Amino acid sequence: MALAPSINCAETDLTVDFRDQFLLTYQHMLLARVLEDKLGSLYRAGGRIVGGVYIGKGQEAFSAALGVQLRKGSDIYGPLIRDQAGRIAYGEPILDCVRTYLGTITGPMRGRDGNIHRGRPKEGLLAMISHLGSLLSVVAGGLFARRQAGTLGDSIGATSIGDGGTSTGAFHEGLNMAAVEKLPIIVSIANNQYAYSTPNTRQYACENLVDRAAGYGIEGASVDATDLASCLKAFRAAVARARSGGGPQMIVGTLLRLAGHGEHDDASYIPDKTRQGPSARDCLAVAEKFALDHGWMNSADLRDLNEEVRRNVDQTISKVSKEPAPDPFKENWQALSCADLVEGQHEA
Amino acid sequence: MPTIPILMPQLGESIAEATIIRILIEPGLMVEAGSDLFEVETNKATMAVSSPCAGKIGQIVATTQTSYAVGATLAALEITEEDAQSLGMGEETKPSSEAPHARGSTDVVENLHFQISDTDVISTRQPTVEPVVGGLPVPAGATGASYISPRMRARMLELGLNAADLAGVPGTGAGGRVTVEDFEAFLRALEQHRMTPASPMRIAVADSMRRSWTRPLATVGSPIMLDAMLAHRKKTDPKPGPALYVIRALALALAENTAFAGRLVGNRIVHPLAIDIGFAVEVDDGVMVPTLREVEKTPLVKLVPTYNKLVEQARARRLPNDVNRPGIATVTNFGTFGIVWATPIPLPEQNLVLGLGAGSKVPHWSEEVKQFIPVTEAELTLSFDHRVLDGGGAGRLLKRVAELLQKPELL
Amino acid sequence: MSITYLEAIREAQYEALRKDPSVFLYGQDIATFGGAFKATKSLSKEFPNRVFDAPISEDAMVGMAVGAAVEGARPIIEMQFADFSSVGFNQIVNQAATLYWRTNVPCPITIRMPSGGTAGSGPFHSQSMEAIYAHYPGLVIVTPATVEDAYWMLLDSVQLDDPVIYCEHKFLYYHLKADQIGERGLPIGKARIARPGRHATIVTYSAMVHEALRAAEELQLDGYSIEVVDLRSVKPMDTDTILASVARTGRLLALGEAFPWGGVTAEIIARVTTEGFHLLDAPPMRLNSKDTPIPYHPNLWKSHRPTTSTIAGALRRLLWY
Repeated sequence: MALAPSINCAETDLTVDFRDQFLLTYQHMLLARVLEDKLGSLYRAGGRIVGGVYIGKGQEAFSAALGVQLRKGSDIYGPLIRDQAGRIAYGEPILDCVRTYLGTITGPMRGRDGNIHRGRPKEGLLAMISHLGSLLSVVAGGLFARRQAGTLGDSIGATSIGDGGTSTGAFHEGLNMAAVEKLPIIVSIANNQYAYSTPNTRQYACENLVDRAAGYGIEGASVDATDLASCLKAFRAAVARARSGGGPQMIVGTLLRLAGHGEHDDASYIPDKTRQGPSARDCLAVAEKFALDHGWMNSADLRDLNEEVRRNVDQTISKVSKEPAPDPFKENWQALSCADLVEGQHEA
Repeated sequence: MPTIPILMPQLGESIAEATIIRILIEPGLMVEAGSDLFEVETNKATMAVSSPCAGKIGQIVATTQTSYAVGATLAALEITEEDAQSLGMGEETKPSSEAPHARGSTDVVENLHFQISDTDVISTRQPTVEPVVGGLPVPAGATGASYISPRMRARMLELGLNAADLAGVPGTGAGGRVTVEDFEAFLRALEQHRMTPASPMRIAVADSMRRSWTRPLATVGSPIMLDAMLAHRKKTDPKPGPALYVIRALALALAENTAFAGRLVGNRIVHPLAIDIGFAVEVDDGVMVPTLREVEKTPLVKLVPTYNKLVEQARARRLPNDVNRPGIATVTNFGTFGIVWATPIPLPEQNLVLGLGAGSKVPHWSEEVKQFIPVTEAELTLSFDHRVLDGGGAGRLLKRVAELLQKPELL
Repeated sequence: MSITYLEAIREAQYEALRKDPSVFLYGQDIATFGGAFKATKSLSKEFPNRVFDAPISEDAMVGMAVGAAVEGARPIIEMQFADFSSVGFNQIVNQAATLYWRTNVPCPITIRMPSGGTAGSGPFHSQSMEAIYAHYPGLVIVTPATVEDAYWMLLDSVQLDDPVIYCEHKFLYYHLKADQIGERGLPIGKARIARPGRHATIVTYSAMVHEALRAAEELQLDGYSIEVVDLRSVKPMDTDTILASVARTGRLLALGEAFPWGGVTAEIIARVTTEGFHLLDAPPMRLNSKDTPIPYHPNLWKSHRPTTSTIAGALRRLLWY
C-alpha cells in the first residue's frame, strides 16, 4: 500500500485542452520512437554513430508527458538517458540529437561529448553527466539562483531519473536540499524495473519508490507509465502545484524498458513473465488505441503522421551525415573560459 | 635561563657532516666562551667544536663514532639572558620555538610552531646523517667526483669548454665535484690573466689529443743501435731520413701481423685495410701528420721523393685531403728536438705511435773484439692502446722493428 | 589596526557581496552562526537573503552552485573543511570542471576550502586537496599565502568565469596578520618572489611559504641567500617565474604540505627538469608531508609536515651538493 496516490485518468478529465495535449504528445512520442529506431539501426550497421546508442523505447509516454508541460526558455529541464521523447516535447530539435550522436562539429556538443550527454544550458536544457543523481541539485541550483535574484516567477525545473539512480547519494542530497528550499522542481522517476541488468529488488527495499516522497516532506504520486493519459494527468497536476508554490513534486511511473540498457544489450536478463506483464505494454500502442477509440484520430491521420515523421527523421539524418566531424587541429583544447589562465604550452 | 643548542658548525666549504670522536664535556659542566666541547673528524681534518659563550652544559645528545650533519644539535647550553640577546637568540628568535621572522614581508607569522620545550627540540632532532643523499649519485665523504651537472654541461657547451679545461678547478660540491659557482669563480679568475686566442691548429691538436686520451695508453721503449742505418744512409742516393727507415721497418713488421695496428671498437678488433703509415711533421704551432700509402710494397729508396714532397706540403699546410683513409700508425722522430725519450700519444683513430729519440755515441761491449766499442744508440718508443695490446705484444713489435733496422739493405 | 588572514577572507566576501548582486554564499553553518571559523561572521545580517545555510550535503552544495552559475549567479561555496570536499568531488570534477568545455557555458563558482593542518586536528580536518583538483582540467586552484592575497585572490576568484578552488590555510587564519590589506597584488596565475636569493630556490605555496622564509633566514646565518617563490596559484602554475628563479640559483627545493605521492611538488620538479634541465646544478629536491594520514597528536603532527628545521636540513643537503 503506497503512501502517495496513484493517478488514473477518468473520462471526466478528457477536456478539449487535454485532447489537444494528448495528440501533441503522441506526435512527440512517435517522432522519438522512429528517431531512436533509426539510430538503433545506424548503430547496428556500424560506422556512422560515434559511441553507443541508449534509447527510451517504452518510456516515451512518461517522458513526453513531463516534457510537454514545460516551457522552453523559461523552465529548466534536466533530462536523463531515456528522455528522447521528453526532449522533443520540451522543444529540443532532433537536429541536436542526430548531430550529437554522429559527433559532428555542428552539434551543441561539437564532438566534445556525445549521444544523450547533450544540452543547451543557457536555453534551459541541461546536459547530463553520466553520474546518476547529480543533475538534480544542478536543476535545483538554477531555480535557487532565480529565486534569489527575483526572476523565478512561475518557472519550474524538472529532472528525470530511473529506479537505479534513486540509490545514489547525489539523488538523496539533491532532493533533500530541494525539499529544504521548497523549490518548484518535478522529479520524475521512471521505475523501469532494471538498472542495466539489476532488478529493482536489488535496488530498494521500500514497497514503492513514491513512499520516499513523504520522507523528504514533498508531494508524490505514482502512475501507470504505459498509459499516456494517466501520465499527462499526473504531470499536469504536479506541474501546476509546483508553479503555484507547492514545492518539489515526485512522480513515479511504473513501466518496462522495451530495449536493452543500450543498443549493445539484448536485455536477456528480463524474464518472459515480466516481458508479458502489464508494465511491458507498449505506451505508443496504448496511446494510439486510446486516440482511435476516442475518435481523436483515424487510421488515415495515423498513416500521414507516420509518413511525415519518417521523412523528417530521414531528412535530418541525411543532412547531418554531410556535416563535418571535429578537427583536432582546429580544436582549441582549452578547458577554461579564461584563455589567459589556460596551461598546456609546456608539453608542446 | 635560556637554553641554546650547540650545533655542528660549518667546518669547511664542502663539508656536510662530521663524526664525533671525543666528547670533552658532561652535563652540568660550566664552560667558557671558546671552550672545546667536542672533537670531530671530517674527511679532511680533525677539529674541535667550541662553545659560543659561557654557560652550563645541559643535555648532551651527540654520541661518539656517530656522524652528524652540519647544523645538527649536539648538546644544550644554558646561558644568561644577556648572552642570548647578544647571540641574536632572545625570546623572539629563540631557535627552540621560533625561527627569525620573515624579513621584508608585511605578513608576520606568530606562533607558527607549537610551543615545545627545549628538551623536546633536542631529542626530536634527527641525530645521524644518511650516508647517501637521496637521489644524488655522489656518496657523502667521497672525493674526486667527475659528475657534471646539467647546468654545468650547458654552461660548458655555451662557452665551448671540455671537461679537460676544468682539470685545474678544485670542486667544493658533493664528493669534490665542480659546482657552477666554482666554475664561475674559475672563469672570473681567468679574467685576471692575459688571454690570447688559440690558433685553429692548436685547437685541432687539442681536440685530437683529448679524444685520444679517453683510452688507456701505455708506452714501451728499448735502445737500438743506429750505425747500420747511418752507414746505409751514407751510401744511398737520394738519402732517406732516419724517420723513413723507421717508417719502412714498422710497415714491414706490421705486414707480418696487422693485428698490432687493430683498433678495439665495442667487442671487436677492427683490422687495417692497408699499411699506410703517417709521420709527424712539426709546423707552426702544431703538428701535421702526412701519410705514406702502402709502405710495405715500396722499397725504401723509392719512398724518398714521396716522403720529401709530403714534408714540404705539410710545412706549407698544403697536404692532400685524404681523411677517408687515415693512416694506421704514426712515426715521430722526436729525436730531432734533441729529446732522448718521450711518450707520444697515438692519434685517436690509431692504435700505435712509434717514436725515435736522439742518437748519441755510447760504449758498447763487443763480443767479437772483446772490448768496448763506440756505437750510435737511440731510444725507440712505442705508445699503444692498452686495450688492444699488452706490454708483451708491444715489446715483440718493437723488437721486430729494431731487428729490421739492423739490416737497412733489406728495407 | 591590523587584519588577519581570516578577516581578509571575510572582508573579501563582504566586498564581493557588496559589489555584485549575483554573488551569494552557500555552506554549512555560514548564515546566522557565521561559519565554523567565522569567515562569514555577520554577513547574513549585512546581506539579507544572500547568505544561506546548506544541509550537510557537499555533493548537492556544489551541484546547486553549478546550476546557479548557469543562471548567471556567482556563488561562493564554503566547505567546512577541505577534507569534506571529497563528498562533493564528483560535482566538482565532473559537473563544474567540464561544463564550459562541454557546453560553452562558463561556470563562475568559487569553492572555499579551509585547508591544511593545525594542532590536534587529525586525519579528517587537516588535508590539503589542491593537487587532487589541479589534476582535473577545467579548474583553477589558488593557494594564497598572505593577507593581501587572501583578500584580492578571493575577489578575483569570484570574478573569474571559471570554477575556482580557493584553498585557504587554516594555520594562517589567526596567526597571519598584516597592518592593512594593501594594494592589489599580482593577478591569478603569477607567482611572487617572496624573498630574493642566489644560492637556491624554494618553490612553495600557502602556509609553507612562511616556513620556507624562516628556513631561508636560518640559512642566511650560514651565509646562504635563499630565494623563495610563492606560487599563489598552483594551477595555472607560473612556470616562467619558477624557471627564471632556478636560472638565478641553479638549485631547486619543491616544498609542499600535501602528501608526497604525485602532487604539486612533483609537478614543479617535472616542469623544471623537462624545461630547465640545463639550469640545474644539483638534482632537484622535494619535501612534503609523510605518506601517512595526518596524525592527531601534536608530537606526531609536527613531524609529519615539513617544518623550518626539516626545510633547513633539506636546503643544507641541496646546497652541499
